[in-house]
Amino acid sequence: MERRVVITGMSAITPIGHGKDRIVESLQTGISGIKPLREEEFLSRYIHSKVYGTVDYPVEYDFKRNHRKTMGPVAYYACQVAKEVLEQSGLTEDFITSGRLGVAFGSIHGSPTTQRNIYRIFFGAEDKIAVKEIGAVDYLKSMVHTTAVNITKMFGITGRVISSGTACTTSSQSIGYGYESVKFGMQDAMLCGGADEYDTTTVAVFDNLLACSTAFNDTPNKTPRPFDKDRDGLVVGEGAGAVMLEEYEFAKKRGANILGEVIGFACNNNGGDMILPNLIGITNTLKLGVETTKINPREVDLISAHATATKMGDIIEAQAISDVFGDTPYVIGLKSYTGHTMAACGVIETIMILYMMQDGFIAPTLNLEEIDERCTMLKHVQKVLQQPVNTAAIQNFAFGGVNTILMIKKFS
Amino acid sequence: MTRQEIEREVKDVFQREFEIENPDMDADLRETYEFDSIDAIELLLAIETFLETEITQEEKKQAINIRTITQICDYIEKIAKKRNLLSPA
Repeated sequence: MERRVVITGMSAITPIGHGKDRIVESLQTGISGIKPLREEEFLSRYIHSKVYGTVDYPVEYDFKRNHRKTMGPVAYYACQVAKEVLEQSGLTEDFITSGRLGVAFGSIHGSPTTQRNIYRIFFGAEDKIAVKEIGAVDYLKSMVHTTAVNITKMFGITGRVISSGTACTTSSQSIGYGYESVKFGMQDAMLCGGADEYDTTTVAVFDNLLACSTAFNDTPNKTPRPFDKDRDGLVVGEGAGAVMLEEYEFAKKRGANILGEVIGFACNNNGGDMILPNLIGITNTLKLGVETTKINPREVDLISAHATATKMGDIIEAQAISDVFGDTPYVIGLKSYTGHTMAACGVIETIMILYMMQDGFIAPTLNLEEIDERCTMLKHVQKVLQQPVNTAAIQNFAFGGVNTILMIKKFS
Repeated sequence: MTRQEIEREVKDVFQREFEIENPDMDADLRETYEFDSIDAIELLLAIETFLETEITQEEKKQAINIRTITQICDYIEKIAKKRNLLSPA
């Protein structure tokens, strides 16, 4: 059984806004969400990179206590976008709780804020009573599937749960495995996405690997710079996104507002190094993704590249795109606006592409002033294009050698 | 420590930890206030902090059937009595 899978809800909290209006405005006017790294008690003093893709506006929550008690900041993000997507989809409570709806949602490591508090108590405690400050719910807040199961709890969802925790491919896997669950008839709908909260430990990790941007600490909005000759690394960010995937006939029958269609997905592994980008592995992913769609790679209008703005990553990705898609599709790097929102990047970038499909424009890669000569074979976008987008690919690659590609189409 | 102090502390814990103000002392906590197993564990930790004593695993198991705030106060009173923490009536 193979069924068409459409998108009937989408919502994102990002460093450039919460909801379509603010996000599209930022994409069209070149507003960056990169801000100075906040001063905090420990790590920020030692990190060389002083920039962060920050959600610096208030997000209003209205969650009841019996839900809040198991939620760290990452679950607040996740439940909020899930709530908005459920409302937008118009699915009934009967359906939501029927077992026909599942959840595919993840974060890179639960709630690091909660984990940090656990360690603070653990190492600071002097007696048994003090150790008991580690709360009964701290595991529920910090476990890797905390986002997925706080969503199922809050909304009474009883279908399957998939909770990828594959770093930067977390939410693209969520969408991909959610898509396959619906396509092959295991579920009729899947609520998919990812989230990550503000966290300096992630910055410290990439900083130690010399992968973070450090040359633009005084001008945060000038970094990251995907494909630019002056790029000097990634910028960590925070945020969340969710989409509702639904079987097409069911969505049509209930008169759902269809926002787009998922037409393909592929995921593979480099089978070797856990950090370095791998041309063969990435190229194979892109080929596999195209094969699942049964369309010609030349029919793809737009590619959202993973494009973290590291020295080697962008070059390898440019080469892979060129090898598989040639120079026909426009190529953009959306992390130039938000930074690398980790588990959320795949879904946030998918939603941004869906907005572009809806409104008929392509946002440029921010800070792409002079294209690296090793990346010039692609059709880069350096200013806003008023341009219809029908078919697009969203590419993401993660530590551990995991690669994903999602293929989406404007619904017609 | 007196029964009144115990009741005051329990009400305080319910307000502080569970956002339940002026609770009905004899209402079923699960049905009326959506109190669940996680809350029960948090409550036991709060009781240990209040009594400044450790509650044994055996004593914790005895708390399983508690349904109301009055029963919680009875439970604390019993443990306090065992530890000689109660003031004479």
